[in-house]
Amino acid sequence: MQRRNRWLAASVLALASAVALTACGTGFNSGSGSSTGSGLTSSKKALTVLIGSSGPAETNAVTSAVASWSKSSGTSAKVIAASNLDQQMAQGFASGSPADVFYLGTGALAGYASAGDLLAYGDKLSNKSDFYPSLVKSFTYNGKFYCAPKDFSTLQLVINKSLWSAAGLTTADIPTTWDQLESVAKKLTTGGVVGLSMNGQYERMGAFMVEAGGNLMNADSSKATADSAANVTALTFVKKLLNEGVMKYAADVGEGDGGQAIGAGKAAMTVEGNWVTGELSSDFPSVKYTVAPLPEGPAGKGTLVYTNCWGISKDSPNQAAALKLVEQLTAAKQQLAFSKAFGVLPSIQSAAATWKKQNPTLIPFLDGATYAQGTPASKGSAAVVADFDSKLATLATSDPKTMLAAVQKNLLATIQ
Amino acid sequence: MTTLASRTAPGRRHHGGVNSGQSRSGWLFTAPTLILLGLFLVIPILMALWVSLSDWNGNGSPFTSRVNFVGLENFGSVLTGNGLAEQDFGESLRNNAWYVLLVVPIQTVIALFLAMLVNRQVLRGRGIFRTAFYFPSVTSSVAITVLWLFLFSQSGAINNVLSWVGINGPNWFNEPSGIIQDGLAGLGVKSGPAFLTGNSFLGVSWWDWIGGPSVAMTALIFMAIFTTSGTFMLLFIAALQNLSGEVQEAAMVDGASGWQRFRFVTLPQLRPTLFTVLTLGLIGGWQIFDQIYTGTQGGPAGTTTSPAYLSYSTAFQNQNWGQGAAIGFIVFVIIVLFTILQRVVLRDRKVSRRRMRLYQPNPATRDIPTGGDA
Amino acid sequence: MTATLGLPPVAVEPKPPRPNFRERLTPRQLWGNAIVYAVLIAIGILYIYPFLIEIFTSFKTEADATANPISLVPPTWTTAAYQQLFVNSAFPLWFGNSVIVTVFVTAGRVFFDSIAGYALARLNFRGRGVIFAGLIAVMAVPSVVLLIPKFLVLNTIGLYNSYPGMILPLLVDAAGVFIMKNFFESIPRSVEEQARIDGAGTFRTFWSVVLPMARPALVTIFILSFQGSWNELAQFIISANNPNLTTLTKGVASLASGQLGQANRYPLKLGAALIMTLPVAVLFFVFQRKIMNTSDGAVKE
Repeated sequence: MQRRNRWLAASVLALASAVALTACGTGFNSGSGSSTGSGLTSSKKALTVLIGSSGPAETNAVTSAVASWSKSSGTSAKVIAASNLDQQMAQGFASGSPADVFYLGTGALAGYASAGDLLAYGDKLSNKSDFYPSLVKSFTYNGKFYCAPKDFSTLQLVINKSLWSAAGLTTADIPTTWDQLESVAKKLTTGGVVGLSMNGQYERMGAFMVEAGGNLMNADSSKATADSAANVTALTFVKKLLNEGVMKYAADVGEGDGGQAIGAGKAAMTVEGNWVTGELSSDFPSVKYTVAPLPEGPAGKGTLVYTNCWGISKDSPNQAAALKLVEQLTAAKQQLAFSKAFGVLPSIQSAAATWKKQNPTLIPFLDGATYAQGTPASKGSAAVVADFDSKLATLATSDPKTMLAAVQKNLLATIQ
Repeated sequence: MTTLASRTAPGRRHHGGVNSGQSRSGWLFTAPTLILLGLFLVIPILMALWVSLSDWNGNGSPFTSRVNFVGLENFGSVLTGNGLAEQDFGESLRNNAWYVLLVVPIQTVIALFLAMLVNRQVLRGRGIFRTAFYFPSVTSSVAITVLWLFLFSQSGAINNVLSWVGINGPNWFNEPSGIIQDGLAGLGVKSGPAFLTGNSFLGVSWWDWIGGPSVAMTALIFMAIFTTSGTFMLLFIAALQNLSGEVQEAAMVDGASGWQRFRFVTLPQLRPTLFTVLTLGLIGGWQIFDQIYTGTQGGPAGTTTSPAYLSYSTAFQNQNWGQGAAIGFIVFVIIVLFTILQRVVLRDRKVSRRRMRLYQPNPATRDIPTGGDA
Repeated sequence: MTATLGLPPVAVEPKPPRPNFRERLTPRQLWGNAIVYAVLIAIGILYIYPFLIEIFTSFKTEADATANPISLVPPTWTTAAYQQLFVNSAFPLWFGNSVIVTVFVTAGRVFFDSIAGYALARLNFRGRGVIFAGLIAVMAVPSVVLLIPKFLVLNTIGLYNSYPGMILPLLVDAAGVFIMKNFFESIPRSVEEQARIDGAGTFRTFWSVVLPMARPALVTIFILSFQGSWNELAQFIISANNPNLTTLTKGVASLASGQLGQANRYPLKLGAALIMTLPVAVLFFVFQRKIMNTSDGAVKE
């Protein structure tokens, strides 16, 4: 008798909770706000802008830019510097309360677009034709131009001037081939200083792969090319540098990235993107550095290009204001201001000439745009690249061919 | 536990009086706890079960019609998918298995050792020592991880001390090589035999399975021992203080040495506490998360991922919610299995008949029914 | 697993079994003691020194911290790390959030655990056995399984990104209910019967008569809840992503993983960890005796 009561009670409870859950399913999407004629939502709510900052310089620059837009437009907006951009974005979308505007990388676009999280507003931009075509292509998914490229960066060689001259080298010695890079690094490697240092990731060492004529995927991420002979050549070269002791990963010299390594005087050269200028000026203001084009590889010049866009979420209640904010943030004047603050390259062609005039020392970064290739952008490729980065941690003692074969297998799984 | 009042015939209701008031109060008093339990334990498990069997991609509620039931696909891709998911899971399993294998015995032994020392009767200042050993357990794992990152950094305190004895300390938290593999390399065995490196389980080669925890994981193992040995030491101290001194005295009179006394008198009596400590250690060890989230985020080279952290990052970073939930359930099963295994291994075995005869008094020589000499 | 109460008070220092045929300790025993002391002191230093390093390094400059990681005394005392901490990060906000959450969780747990424990110990009602079994089952579920689903539940009931969403899930505390239940079972029934004769209702009996007698157990629950909620991390990760709701644990974790850039700001991070540890450390030293004499639920007077 008692047992039956218990079962009855339990099943009633389960049924009730099931009904309650399906009814409460709407708790996930609290999207409200009216739609304007152009199909964008609009409301009085404040905007949230989520960024993955490279440091205080970037955070301050974006915060003041957004604040001045707030003042002039009358819509309040708040900038949040994420400590883990991917996690906070995923959590935001899953909980129905994502940021309105956020940094979105090429690798993340496919995933969020296919899940229906993003607003494809690219065609609504007033300055649409001003963006570099290659960047527009990076942010086009399934034929729709999703978001405005906010800036881009390439990787080049950054050299600590005082360590350079202390080794008796001059501007004429700046390496232009891989062999020269190796010999210069040898000369620069002394007691506490290593010649070359960078993060032990594809996001840096991939530049060598491009220079050898390869890359992980083709230009529009439809084919996986990880196991090409060119890539093997590139990784074998890097492995050689590591084993000769003339190159060390930034973590192995106790630093967080290449910029920190040359700023702290632990390395003489690094391969970094233009964001390193902001980092160096805020963390090591007294260190002098030069930017030189990467030495050419067997297939000539090559480097990686990084670009993020301003994503707008489909669930945002105030898409119209978000669009206006993005247009402001990608205007020439604002992009040049960002560039001055943390060294990124403007994504619009009309700003190129002024930028070159303002940043004569950083011209190699902008020139890199002509021969740079992007990183994989197929859905799920970010996890494969993360795994590749893990493998690269032991490059000095591993076989590049086996490593790349495994990456190839994983990449193929993402495009099936 | 049950009183006379409740042993009435089932079905007979009491109207009024003390008992119905008690019944109402009873349900009322436990209601908040029950509601919270139901809401934040029972229902989440059911929801997670649904998500792990579905293809929800993180947009909107998982209970809308757009989300489809996919059966065991998520579990399959994690356990047998032959892709990145399986490899990541295999690695996380290997890391955590080594962690548990090293942490649980070592922390138990150290806790017992400290308890034995601190419990000595002639000791003065035992309160100070107990405080010192227990203090790390009080701090948050986030704070300790931050401290550990500093101590075990490349130019940190630990490497400084090691250099006093001439050892060049590794870059602890950035060194992904397994310690057993390093040891073997030191003895000249640079790479594994073909049958170990060629075959793999869950995407990780057998050579890597037996390669031991990575140097980074070892630093985390030290941290775990540092922070939990104090708690278990207290449990052992309490148990030791409950032991009667008479058995010890009897053993001393019989001429047993200190070590013999420990092994044959103290230790068997500590069995229940030992069991508790091991169980708690196992359950805690398979759930390591905070330290990884704060300190290494799974690096270097994925050698400090644990299934708990993998469950989190698969869902919250890669937006693969179904797989993340599946991994969570797999961890649950692992913990249950290990607990059962430990219970089986440590159970009180029935004494065999042959041994029993050794302790039976010889009927021929028995005069007083108090048992003869062993 | 838990020692039951009702034991006669055990003396903390049992009499040492003295050898019958000597008055003083033998040299061998003296040597033995000396070795034990030495070992204990060495291990004690090992356990305490890291915290000393933490305290003193937070007052060093960043260069000193990297150059002399072991030395305790900074060549130059500086509070730059703390200044940076309070200026460049939202540390005061994190501290405030932690305080709010901890206060509510501790108060809630003390109250709910005690009434639930009392009900299970003293009140007779149908279903008591089921609830008891359920609690045991609950203690078996590892919290890692609940990471993702708790996030989903909080979303479904609309508590995501709110203080209740951070507080309510932490009120679930089966172990605490057990501790209170065990304690209440040891209180003589005569007290309650007296109260009932005097005409008090069930709640009155509980609140005014029985609860004040439960002080030792309540203190235990108080300590455990404070520690548990102050040091909690995973729950706060999943229950909010609004930066205004960041607690100390989440904030310091983000500092450690490089929120303020990639530089090795050790003094700053260690200073943050130090301030974070202070409240639980103070609580620990104040209630030391109580904590030391507790073993998994038993309370020795």
